[in-house]
Amino acid sequence: MTLWRRIVKARYYYFLLLPCFVLLILFNYYPAFLALWGSIFTLDYGREGTYVGLKNFRDLWNDSTFITSVRNVVALTLFGTITAITIPIFVAEWIFRLQSDRAQYFYRIIMVWPAIVPGLVTLLLWQFIYDPYYGLLNAMLSWVGLDSWANTAWLADPDLALYALMGSAFPFVGGIGVLIYLAGLQSISVEIYDAAKLDGAGGMRQFLTIDLPLIKGQIRLNMVLSIIAGLQALTGPLVLTNGGPVNATMVPGLYMYQQAFTYGRLGYASAIGVIVFIAVFVLTVFNLTLFKDKD
Amino acid sequence: MTERVSQPTEQKPTLAHTSGSSSLRKMMKEDWWKHLLLIIISIFLFFPFVITLIISFKDMNQFSVEPFWPTFPLHWGNYTEAGAIVVPYIFNSIVVSGTACFGVVLIGSLTAYVFASFSFPGRELLYYLILILLMIPNILTLVPSFVVVRDLRLLDTNWALILPWIAGGQVFAIFILRTFYAAMPKDLFEAARIDGAGELAIYARIAVPLSKSILGVVAIFNILGTWNDFLWPLITISTPDSYPLVLGLFRFQSQYYTVWGPLMAGYVIGTIPLIILFAFTSRLFVQGLAAGGIKL
Repeated sequence: MTLWRRIVKARYYYFLLLPCFVLLILFNYYPAFLALWGSIFTLDYGREGTYVGLKNFRDLWNDSTFITSVRNVVALTLFGTITAITIPIFVAEWIFRLQSDRAQYFYRIIMVWPAIVPGLVTLLLWQFIYDPYYGLLNAMLSWVGLDSWANTAWLADPDLALYALMGSAFPFVGGIGVLIYLAGLQSISVEIYDAAKLDGAGGMRQFLTIDLPLIKGQIRLNMVLSIIAGLQALTGPLVLTNGGPVNATMVPGLYMYQQAFTYGRLGYASAIGVIVFIAVFVLTVFNLTLFKDKD
Repeated sequence: MTERVSQPTEQKPTLAHTSGSSSLRKMMKEDWWKHLLLIIISIFLFFPFVITLIISFKDMNQFSVEPFWPTFPLHWGNYTEAGAIVVPYIFNSIVVSGTACFGVVLIGSLTAYVFASFSFPGRELLYYLILILLMIPNILTLVPSFVVVRDLRLLDTNWALILPWIAGGQVFAIFILRTFYAAMPKDLFEAARIDGAGELAIYARIAVPLSKSILGVVAIFNILGTWNDFLWPLITISTPDSYPLVLGLFRFQSQYYTVWGPLMAGYVIGTIPLIILFAFTSRLFVQGLAAGGIKL
């Protein structure tokens, strides 16, 4: 049977896939193409745009705001990734090693909590926490006697704003990380622990020699996920600081947003999107291959 | 993948073998420090929301005298004031997130079923074309998606949210569901086919009912994603009356900042819908979070 006959024979299946692909073409493939097209070839989209070659990228290279935003996002992502890898491991271990199944389940439910509160509400609460006059943080500082600190404008001080942004993820156990580690720990077979106990390995020893090596995959996953999320950061800086003061918290995602929707420079914005995309892509692939080779 | 979804509660290594019922005290003795640490973490997690709840019952005077401890009488009026503004946003969100979720489950499951059950030329190629989208970060397509929606003249309509949400949401749904449908016993479908059932009838009468719980996981995660999406509505919806909840809260905050009582009451009201959803489906939630994370 020729390929064409087989295709014709299967037309009903293609027909069933149509709704899916119509939507994907309109809202996924075409925009992805448009992002590359808009950044490389024209200053503005489609009809009214003009061909500018790689000008957008050259301009970005000399754009001091963009360079600052890259530096900021590297710091934020580094901090975010380190906290997302380490702290959830401990929490997951504590939960995993509880004797009671019901207690385990209880804490797992609690760890889901951050995922069901709209992220924006959490951000708005942090804005309140950091408020220089009414905020919870300054109130707590004056309770413990640090009155000289109690008037700090956390989000408006160029030296502090970036750290305040990092701190807004406190206590760094946002939902999925802990659950990913727990799933990993639970897939370790009981026999390994039994054998370790026979050999007299204590809790710490088991953690270092059994748990850590066997949840390497989960560590890598959490790392990849938080790098992906970190490099694309936009909503947090947008809501808390809008990139200020004086670009102290500017990140590429926010810069892209402002270029596109405040200044209408869609081509320039697309170029930023393309750069972030390439960074995410390269780091993800690098991460996956690097770890795979070691296994 | 399917195993993980269908058997969430696990074989757990019993580190100290619990022998009978008298072990409760021994267990507490060994575990107390873990409980202590976990409770401290939990307090940190919940602390901002407890403060929110406390402030949501204060009037201006109470806040200026005693901002963070409970004060009486409780001002329920804050809730009526905030509710009048926030509740319509909640209804908007239910409409758009609900429709998008329905679309994702319907199109996602049908597409996944076709990929899992039939062979046709280009099947794997088409499937990888879908999977590759999981690798494309939102940030690349944010601006051009706006352009597409603008050119389709959908800006400021519910479709500007619903259609892209279905398009994006179905990718992950197809990914999860294809594996599930592929693992289903083929005999069931064969029997139905011999009885003369059409392919769509088999999908609707056999495949869908048997995948109810995983469809539930897909639906909940889809709702969670769209319900909390802030950025896309921010750039596509401009009429305040049609704001979804999260965008509405943002606007509400800029109007009510420093009117703390009603503001915090608004946050509380805005958080309630997902808490209700969560209360009824917590098991699916936990399974899905873990399963979703593992596969991504």
